[in-house]
Amino acid sequence: MARTDAVAEQETLALEAPGRSLVRRILWGAAHLISIAALVIAWEGLARSGTFTPFVLPSLSSVIERIWSDAQSGELAINTGLTVYRALVGFLISAVFGILIGLAMSRNVVANWFFDPVVSVGFPMPKIAFLPVVILWLGVYDVSKITMIVVDAIFPVIAATVIAIKGVERELIWSARNMGASDRELMWQIVLPAAMPQILTGLQVALPLSMIVAVVAEMLMGGYGLGGAMMTASRFADSRGVFAGIVEIAIVGYVLVKGMSLLRRRLLIWHQEANEPTTA
Amino acid sequence: MSNGQPQIVIDKVSHMYRPPRGKPVLALDDVSLQVGTREFLALLGPSGCGKSTLLYLLGGFLPIEKGAITVDSKPVAAPGPDRGIVFQHFALFPWKTVRDNILYGLERQSMPKDERLARAQSFIDLVGLSGFEDSFPSQLSGGMKQRTALARTLAFDPKILLMDEPFGALDAQTRHLMQGELLNIWQRTPKTVIFVTHDVQEAVYLADRVAVMTARPGRIKTIVDTKFDKNDPGIFKTKVFVDKVDELWGLVRDEAIKAERRKV
Repeated sequence: MARTDAVAEQETLALEAPGRSLVRRILWGAAHLISIAALVIAWEGLARSGTFTPFVLPSLSSVIERIWSDAQSGELAINTGLTVYRALVGFLISAVFGILIGLAMSRNVVANWFFDPVVSVGFPMPKIAFLPVVILWLGVYDVSKITMIVVDAIFPVIAATVIAIKGVERELIWSARNMGASDRELMWQIVLPAAMPQILTGLQVALPLSMIVAVVAEMLMGGYGLGGAMMTASRFADSRGVFAGIVEIAIVGYVLVKGMSLLRRRLLIWHQEANEPTTA
Repeated sequence: MSNGQPQIVIDKVSHMYRPPRGKPVLALDDVSLQVGTREFLALLGPSGCGKSTLLYLLGGFLPIEKGAITVDSKPVAAPGPDRGIVFQHFALFPWKTVRDNILYGLERQSMPKDERLARAQSFIDLVGLSGFEDSFPSQLSGGMKQRTALARTLAFDPKILLMDEPFGALDAQTRHLMQGELLNIWQRTPKTVIFVTHDVQEAVYLADRVAVMTARPGRIKTIVDTKFDKNDPGIFKTKVFVDKVDELWGLVRDEAIKAERRKV
């Protein structure tokens, strides 16, 4: 009875899927493009209308021209590469240590006693305040920039891990214990995978945060990178260079976040959400 | 009751439930109960009477604070594969397929890989899930999830099966089918079963004996013998069955009313 129900359900889903999803996909894609297209047209129109001088608001076409010339000179690749490299290294360190600290806090009373107040105070605090100290200690190069990223991005990972582990069903743990799982097996084979959806949500917060801090740190410390290039352009009153930076950052951020949500779908193929239609 | 001493002896067990906030509540009060090898015992009582708590104590999931529980004369201290549990909400590992869920318990026993796979397959077949080996739990119906959970527990061959309202989350038709299948499986595989339920008809249909529990604090009110031929397809209409249901319903009704009043 139950079996035939499920089979029938799967079949109806399979029958409905192709026709509807194709039309839907195109419509959704178009809907997403419409808002971006409107913004682009408004920018270009406003810039060309003469309301603002090209210094205040350069046209999008001239900004794209500028990005193109930067790409040809190789400057775009260096700046984008450096920013992405710093953001990703900072993100990965935050991910690994954030999850480890979260695990330790859930398992160990001493770790919880030590880290819980640190997280409570540190999470809401504007960590950019540490920047001058980090510069004094570590200088202005990659190490200090990545340190700033980790100091910011690690908190949502820790918090998500702790909450996720708290939320793991008691019955799941009992089942594993019942089948003879040791403490270690329980942690790595049961608790961590069961907490994975929420931990990934924490990582999805940490990734754009890493990108934000990377750009801000570059702006404040100077040197190469998208943020540094924008500040340099600003100092030389190079308005097109500044706007080029904004467009580049938007695209890089979008690609990173999109990649992360694809990774999530991949990792959570077993999860209920994998059967549901995507919204982005 | 094969060799004098019953397989499970629950001796004067009391248990305090301590909610994270609020006052501690006496969940079980001085409960004593003995269950023989291969016996099918139902724990029947209103919701919140502590019958699941008793099951969890027996499973070793909760610490025994007062009294003692022994299985084969050995005190229960921790969970173990000799006492397999099946939960109301299945507790399947959602990131594992049906097959991998069933394999998890077998992987923790010294058994060659081929044998593990063959054993998992035989239990998949036993509960009628052939063809769904590689499905994830999220793709299954409630009945199929509970079949998977049952196969997972049966696969590691516990001597004692602890069932915590296993069919409570299923629709009426599926529940009825699963009851028949459980009885069938139990008759083929020699196991002691302790079955927690608040469904009187289910208790009478499945169990050899039904222990009726009082509303909180949970005590054993009385034990009713319900051993008769369960393979009769028209059993639900027989006088002996209807009388038993009626008798037990009379016993449990007062407790249900008491439990209901307390909620207000």
